[in-house]
Amino acid sequence: MTINGTDLQIAFCGSAGDGTIAVGDILKQAMAMAGYRVIAFDQYPAEIRGFGKCVSRTRVTGEQVYSMKQQTDILVSLDDSHAIPHASEVRDFGAVIYDNAPMSLMMEGEHISGHLQPGQIPYALPIREISERATGSNRGRNMVALGFVAGLYGLQQDVFHTIIARKFKTKPAAVTKDNTAAFDAGFDLGAGEFLFDEVSIGAPPAKAKHEARMLSGNSAVVEGCLDAGIEAYFGYPITPATTIMERLVTEMPKRGKRALQTEDEISAIAATIGAGYAGVRSATATSGPGLALMAEMLGLSVMAEVPSVIFVSQRGGPSTGMPTKTEQSDLNLAVFGGSGDAQRIVLAPTNVEGCWRCAGKAFEMAERYQTPVIVLLDLYLSNRYETVIVSPDERFEASSSKAMVPAKSGEKYQRFAKTDDGISPRAIPGQAGGIHTVTGLEHNDLGRPSDQANIHMDMSEKRHNKLSKAVDHPGITITKRFGDEGDVEVGILAWGSTFGESLEAMMLARDEGIKCAAMKVVMMSPLPEQPISEFMDSANEVLLPELNYEGQFAGIVSGTLGRPVNRLNMVPGTPMRVDDILNEIRRLAGREAKDAA
Amino acid sequence: MSSAPHLVIIGNGVAGNRAAEILREKDKDCRISIISAGPLLFYNRYELPDVFKGRQDWRDYLENPPEYFSDNNITLRRRSIVADVDTERRKLVLAHREEVGFDQLLVATGGAGYLPERLQETASLTHQFTTYRSAMKMYKALPKGGRVVMLGGDMIGLDLARTLIETGYQVTVVPGDRTFWPHEISAEDRPKYLAALETMGIEVINHGEVERIEDTSGGATARRVVFVSGETVSADVVVTQYGLAPMVDFMSTAGVDIERGLLVNPQLKTTRDEIYAAGDVCQIWEQESNGYRFYYGWRNVRKMGEISARNMMGADVPFETEVDEQLIIKDDGSIDSPFWEYSA
Repeated sequence: MTINGTDLQIAFCGSAGDGTIAVGDILKQAMAMAGYRVIAFDQYPAEIRGFGKCVSRTRVTGEQVYSMKQQTDILVSLDDSHAIPHASEVRDFGAVIYDNAPMSLMMEGEHISGHLQPGQIPYALPIREISERATGSNRGRNMVALGFVAGLYGLQQDVFHTIIARKFKTKPAAVTKDNTAAFDAGFDLGAGEFLFDEVSIGAPPAKAKHEARMLSGNSAVVEGCLDAGIEAYFGYPITPATTIMERLVTEMPKRGKRALQTEDEISAIAATIGAGYAGVRSATATSGPGLALMAEMLGLSVMAEVPSVIFVSQRGGPSTGMPTKTEQSDLNLAVFGGSGDAQRIVLAPTNVEGCWRCAGKAFEMAERYQTPVIVLLDLYLSNRYETVIVSPDERFEASSSKAMVPAKSGEKYQRFAKTDDGISPRAIPGQAGGIHTVTGLEHNDLGRPSDQANIHMDMSEKRHNKLSKAVDHPGITITKRFGDEGDVEVGILAWGSTFGESLEAMMLARDEGIKCAAMKVVMMSPLPEQPISEFMDSANEVLLPELNYEGQFAGIVSGTLGRPVNRLNMVPGTPMRVDDILNEIRRLAGREAKDAA
Repeated sequence: MSSAPHLVIIGNGVAGNRAAEILREKDKDCRISIISAGPLLFYNRYELPDVFKGRQDWRDYLENPPEYFSDNNITLRRRSIVADVDTERRKLVLAHREEVGFDQLLVATGGAGYLPERLQETASLTHQFTTYRSAMKMYKALPKGGRVVMLGGDMIGLDLARTLIETGYQVTVVPGDRTFWPHEISAEDRPKYLAALETMGIEVINHGEVERIEDTSGGATARRVVFVSGETVSADVVVTQYGLAPMVDFMSTAGVDIERGLLVNPQLKTTRDEIYAAGDVCQIWEQESNGYRFYYGWRNVRKMGEISARNMMGADVPFETEVDEQLIIKDDGSIDSPFWEYSA
């Protein structure tokens, strides 16, 4: 599969404290500034420093892609003990770059040079010594290695200078100077090195009509919140959602808005619902364990028909689980969690741009349908970076609420009135003529508690039916089909971050002659039954890959539509491998599976 | 780590790879490691002049595909330089500070391009033609139809000169005492062989000893060779071809006998039982001359790889050359040498 002449994946691997993530960040920012499309994903340990492995992977392409490649083109080792297990990820005639003058004596097998595959191309350089010569310290090893990569492959040195200066602009000037000096020393060495591997970088694609921005999933959520005019944020830190709060705490006060860290997740959602009740656009963000705590309050948002937005970034579970590993196992909790029939909207973006759009649309939907909206990410999507190009003309509605119409004289305002469109007119507290009762108890049109059978049945139906309109909400794609049209041998239904790998597997399967299509599903609740049904009708076999043990979305699809699907489930803590999906496609299409690389 | 014996070969050329092949044939279980200073898999250096014929992808020169090494369980450690051999502990110390143990060792490091001392100061202004990388570097430096001045003119260089002439370049040889190396040419025969070069289209000039090389990059040509006599010759590329010097420095503390090369008996064993040598790096005892001598050329080197491996496996086979070392002049007036023979 060739992607517009350039398709290069570079991995830096080191120990926490080596600057692995920092150098990966500079690389992706520089490549984006140079005009390429980028997707990047960092893996880091739960520990803060001095332990554990950090891997920063960046894929540079001519057109935007949404998955990492299975095989890396270039691996840079900043710590052989961590990089050795990743050496086999480098493809034949790809490059492995490492230090040939480490500080200490090594036993046999401890140096990465002994672990290279015969087809890989070694580039050995005295990384530490060069750093010490350039800066007087070995702390610039990461920048020497980055400079070497840039020099070897002819990347634009001035772009890197700009990004380095930007990255360290809040530090003393000597920090930028030393990092630049280390980068340049590596660059000069790389530029003079003979290029043996077959890696090449084509020209960047034509300049996009609109500015390309480098955003992570979480930062795109923040941008979406800000673009939608968020007014209040309440949160409690939890990996991998914490960076949403960290950025909002910085950005919202600049806009005269408030972000508050509460004492726990329960108070965070309670405050979010309270603000929503007061007519303020508000949100919270958490992960699976936090959502479990929020489940009861979610029911209040449903019952009281108060808008609320909850961003959930999934990680390995249950319980504390695997905080720094990715998983898609909170879908059931997001869709069904809580007591009673607590219908809500659940959106699951499949890429970083989708995170921005779903974030903004979540506020529109929450207000329009007077309901909680959960935006479901996962660690892989939260932490991965992509170049995002959004038209500045694309805006979110400033207010989507169906406003209260003043009651006629002598009539009482019916906050929960049944209407033709299923949405009740909403009064904001303090609004003249808008006095009403709000409670978590079942209630009548006025909001007054009632446990009469007919009221409970009517209100349950009302709360359920109003959400069906959400599948037609403007400005958001809730399902989309890719690949072959018409009948296919295999159709892949995919959601969340796994869609990227599914799309790439689908394209590779088509290259092999398998008639194949993929559908991404963004709206998980209410389920867009019609397009999913039509898609399933067109496929001999339907494959549903997801990163959870039981197949939670497969269960929802099968249970709702009464149709079987072929499940592909795994919980490795890492993104699903393209080869795993591709082999399953081959199997379903009656082709022979191949060994994964 | 496996308990199978670890047989380590230093050198990734004809001798080393042939030895690895034989070792694996004889013992399916032993650990075999090839340690190489270069970055590439084993490739055919004899065909390197073909870069001037447009064959410039290094993979086209590979003797074996990458999977050969995996399939035969041969570990190839590239960009690894042996700094020291600790024979008492049977450990190699690599320059990157990793120790590698061995049970038996075969040294097959070959030779590096020899450069007379007077030219070492200006080495950066000259090319050597010993590796794929150096071949490509020279190719890139040489304009189409440009002029090459070859200092020395050993048989490797003259093979290159043949191709350069064929592909439209101009070649001038500045002969010296190692011209036609490794052939030993008598003073009496020398003029006829030099004349043969001219028949082949190679210009031969004799201005005496070279004094220096000058960088004239700003001018019409990039280099100028200045002779002691004051005469000069201009060139786009100056290449030095003075034969090979055995690479044995790292063996200096290994406790084996070294003259110019590693001294070995006809079974290619050094003065230590666990250390063998093969190829251009070793001098083999010759009963007839009562001394040690080098044997060059693809056929000799390959055979040494084979013999050393068999003896490492317990055989007792002496090396005997099958190469007639005569430099001949063909009917068309050009020269031919057994050292140009190889089989891909």
